[in-house]
Amino acid sequence: MPIDSILILAAAAEADSGGGNVATEIFDTFDVHWNTFICQLVNFFIICLVLKKFAYGPVMDMLEQRRKRIADGEEKLKQVEAQIAESEKNTQAAIQEANERAKRLVEEAKESATAVGEKKTQEAAAEAKAILAKAEEAAKGERDKMHADLKKEFGRLVASTTAQVTGKVLTDEDQKRINEEALAEVDS
Amino acid sequence: MPSKSRVLAVHFSRLVALLAFLVPGAGSALAAESLPQGAEVIAEPFEWLTITNSMVMVWVVAGVIILVSWLATRRPQLVPSGMQNFVEWLVESLINFFAGIMGEHLARRAFWFLFTSFVLILFTNWAGLIPGVGTIGLTGENAPAGDQFRPFLRGANADLNLTMAMSVTFFGLWFYWSLTEIGPKNFLKHIFAPKGKFGLGMMVLMVPLFFFVGLIEVLSIAVRPVALMFRLYGNVFAGESMLETLMVMKNVPDLLKWAPALPFYFLELLVGFIQALVFVLLCAVFTKLMCEHHEDHEEEHGSGEHDAEPEDGTPETTS
Repeated sequence: MPIDSILILAAAAEADSGGGNVATEIFDTFDVHWNTFICQLVNFFIICLVLKKFAYGPVMDMLEQRRKRIADGEEKLKQVEAQIAESEKNTQAAIQEANERAKRLVEEAKESATAVGEKKTQEAAAEAKAILAKAEEAAKGERDKMHADLKKEFGRLVASTTAQVTGKVLTDEDQKRINEEALAEVDS
Repeated sequence: MPSKSRVLAVHFSRLVALLAFLVPGAGSALAAESLPQGAEVIAEPFEWLTITNSMVMVWVVAGVIILVSWLATRRPQLVPSGMQNFVEWLVESLINFFAGIMGEHLARRAFWFLFTSFVLILFTNWAGLIPGVGTIGLTGENAPAGDQFRPFLRGANADLNLTMAMSVTFFGLWFYWSLTEIGPKNFLKHIFAPKGKFGLGMMVLMVPLFFFVGLIEVLSIAVRPVALMFRLYGNVFAGESMLETLMVMKNVPDLLKWAPALPFYFLELLVGFIQALVFVLLCAVFTKLMCEHHEDHEEEHGSGEHDAEPEDGTPETTS
């Protein structure tokens, strides 16, 4: 209990014990009158109402609006941040997908290139083989032809030489026999 | 209705009083009559309506506050500046200050009373220091019978009628807020019920003890408005009396009559602020002390009990 209140109460109690009307005495001392008091009371209430209407009421409304606007702004900021995060996530996913696709394409291209290369190599080898076979065949034909010519020339030479050495005219049968004997020796 | 000659006399006396204030030393003649304990009647248009000089002072200050607020809020800007910034700062600081003491809910509910009281007490205290307050008024034959000088304005809180009106208002609101916040049962329990947990035997002993403590608490509650009104009135009245006494000191040259009181003007600026703060601070604390009990019982009552209560206790007409 505040000390001044105690003093007032003590003074009031003391005065009361003396039989005087304390409240009236205090009110008279401090010029408190009921009609003035009521007027001040009404006055105070009116001022409360008027100050609320014109002073802090609009300010409170303004502060509330600002608080709401800031809260809305923060909410929008959060939404924008979430959208940005989502967008970044999507972009990242798209980039990753593109990377994977590109990697896959490169792999496929490599595989395709290897397959084509192998095919081409096989084709080239087959072609080379064919060319070689053809060349060998041609060479064999040439050789056979040369062999036949050689045989023919050799038979003629053998017959000619035999005729000149023996000095007699060889019959066709002799020539044939001599050629066959000579060729048999050449072949062996 | 005052007669024409009476009106002229009033205007003339105002001029004389103003000159008396402006001419050093002349004011002392008017102020020779010591500051009366209570406010003086300026007009009494009806038998039941008495207009005192402290009431006029309240109107003037309230008018200035309303004007400033209107100027500050008539074209609100998203980014405040100047007067709007100041008014917003004042309101926001006060509501945050009270919310720190009473909690957000109670602070918003009681803000209309606390804000009005603080602003009105503060600015009426400071306005009471403005030259002319208490020195311009009716003099000589224009003054009411038996009075040499009757000022038009008086430090509003140097009138017990006003401080009592504010204290009684608070007392009524305190009851209303307490009863609506915690209910009549908890209100009585808060005052009379034993605090703490006791066994049956101890409880039997404690009940009469806490009932007696409750009676003391009732006395303490009854004294609160008395303390509030006399503290404010006493401090402001003492300050005004001191300044007046210092300004009519003898053995001080007329040209320097203002000098002894000058340091005390700064003191009174501080006192004016402190008294405004103390008044509303005590109102906030008294309200919080009774309503904090509410939080202990909130679970019992359920949280929806106060949803229907208005955040602001002001009458419907204001919203």
